[in-house]
Amino acid sequence: MPDRLQQAITVLQTRFGSAAPRPAAPPCPARPTGIPELDALTGIGGWPVGRLSLLAGPRGSGKRTLAQRSIAAASREGPVAYIDMPGRLDPEFLSHFDARLDHLLVVRPKSIKEAMASVRVLARAGVDFIAIDLPRARSSGLDAELPHLLHRAAEADCTLLLIHDADAEDAIRYYASLILSFQRSAWVFRRDGDLEGLQVDAAVVKNRLAAPGLTSRWIIPYPIP
Amino acid sequence: MICCVRTPHPSLVAAWLMAPALRGRPLILGGLAHERASVTTASAEARAQGVVEGMSLNQAQQFAPDAVFQPVDEEATARVRQSLLLTLHHFTPDVAPGEDPGCVFLRLDRLVLRWPDRAQLLAAIGRAIDAAIRVRPAIGVASSMFVSKVAAAHATAAAPVIVEKEKMRDFLARYPIDVLPLDDDLREYLELLGIKTIGRLQAISRPAFRRQFGQKALVVYDLALGDDRRRLRPWRPAVRIEESEPLEPPVDNTQALQFIARALAERVSASLLSQGLGTRAVRITLNQESVPALMIEARFAYPMTTAGELFDGIRPRLLRASIVAPLERITLRAARLEAAYVRQPGLLIRRDGFKESIADAVARLQEEYGPSLVQRAEVNSDAAPLADHRILWKPA
Repeated sequence: MPDRLQQAITVLQTRFGSAAPRPAAPPCPARPTGIPELDALTGIGGWPVGRLSLLAGPRGSGKRTLAQRSIAAASREGPVAYIDMPGRLDPEFLSHFDARLDHLLVVRPKSIKEAMASVRVLARAGVDFIAIDLPRARSSGLDAELPHLLHRAAEADCTLLLIHDADAEDAIRYYASLILSFQRSAWVFRRDGDLEGLQVDAAVVKNRLAAPGLTSRWIIPYPIP
Repeated sequence: MICCVRTPHPSLVAAWLMAPALRGRPLILGGLAHERASVTTASAEARAQGVVEGMSLNQAQQFAPDAVFQPVDEEATARVRQSLLLTLHHFTPDVAPGEDPGCVFLRLDRLVLRWPDRAQLLAAIGRAIDAAIRVRPAIGVASSMFVSKVAAAHATAAAPVIVEKEKMRDFLARYPIDVLPLDDDLREYLELLGIKTIGRLQAISRPAFRRQFGQKALVVYDLALGDDRRRLRPWRPAVRIEESEPLEPPVDNTQALQFIARALAERVSASLLSQGLGTRAVRITLNQESVPALMIEARFAYPMTTAGELFDGIRPRLLRASIVAPLERITLRAARLEAAYVRQPGLLIRRDGFKESIADAVARLQEEYGPSLVQRAEVNSDAAPLADHRILWKPA
């Protein structure tokens, strides 16, 4: 917040008391995503701590790649968990981003109920960052579990990141503090014809902590094995 | 320094406590004279007449015709042994029972501040044992368990034997090799070579001894020099922590059940805290009206102490329990007790960054949903060209 604006607010608060303007949301701590462009897009410098962020978009739009890069970055700081319902986590891919695999717990639940129980228990136990990779099929029962889940995450300062292939349901959209939508705009090839990465268009569909509506385009490189 | 406290066989002590008139008389335990059994132990008076342990009772009667024969009272023997250990446990927690039934070891190092005068300490130990089981023990003190045991075997109730570290070798030198734990072959071989005392054994060099008798026999050689590498494994007195609550009228709703379970968990936790203990398993017994009691066990990855932790462990199991009738009583018992200090302090975390709370959470999830729910991955990039062969998944 600029100094002049802060001074103006102070003057108004002195004059009008509780009727004076105040920030719409208290400042929220953020956990860096590991990608500077994405940090800038969120408006608060990373994933909000103690809240739910949603990565939405069709298959092949780069959201899982970004989530795995964020997990790799977070694993260097402390314990992390990946709820891998579709079974798509690639530890080798994580290791290319210098992830600490000994900090990573991979949970492979058979149902949404098991997944949500695991998230609740792990968040409460002190896992700092949990990515939840949901299957494409409709996740029945999730809407009833989400309020409890968010309560636990807020209590434990745990960052929740939800990855959803299909259009997210209303409940998820309602409870998420940050929704990023991804679209692949192009594949990026090297001169020799090998696939090098993908170019994505990202848009902030919803943001309770900073201004929504920001868009960005960048290239997500695939790691060279 | 290690102190070896030696008393007569606990079965003998038990017999003397029950019939003090038997003291000073030849007493043989193991059965009645006409029974086909062997001698478990015998009093010094019976031994003086040639009775030894393992001898048949018939033969023992021929050696000591005026001896009193009695069967061993196992319960009383166990009580005497327990009493002996408890008495010494009041001096120090570093108490370990020896292999011989009447032998107990104590580590004296931590008692120096409280008992600067060792003679006073040994006298106090003697008095305490006399008060507990009416026997004056023989006490030996040395730097190792083996030497202290030899010292105690040659001490009397009035005069403990104390062997300083630098004199251990000389102390052992005069004793026959029989005091060493020799197998028959080694004993025979040593006797054939004319080695009958530990002093003669000490004269052989270690490499020569190893060449002649092999690597295994070096343990005996080290003992002959007074070097005993066995560790003193502390004995812990049996503790039972259990809380129970009768339910009148019988309870049939889960809210009330949880409320009572929480109160019991608090009581169990208070007992654990007061004794510095943690529990790795809580056993819940639910007595139902006119139906067999229901037993539930909640296990923990780490020894738990606080009421919150205990209740967190038992609550989901209580809610899942198939209770078919109103409950008349609920009992909580802390099992698998361990010292609470083995728990990880919050500031110290494992090298992999995982806190014990996370390990406990993972253990609980795996217990509930199966071991494959939470996994860890290891990548060995040089292992194979196929990804499935490079990535090793294993339960966390």
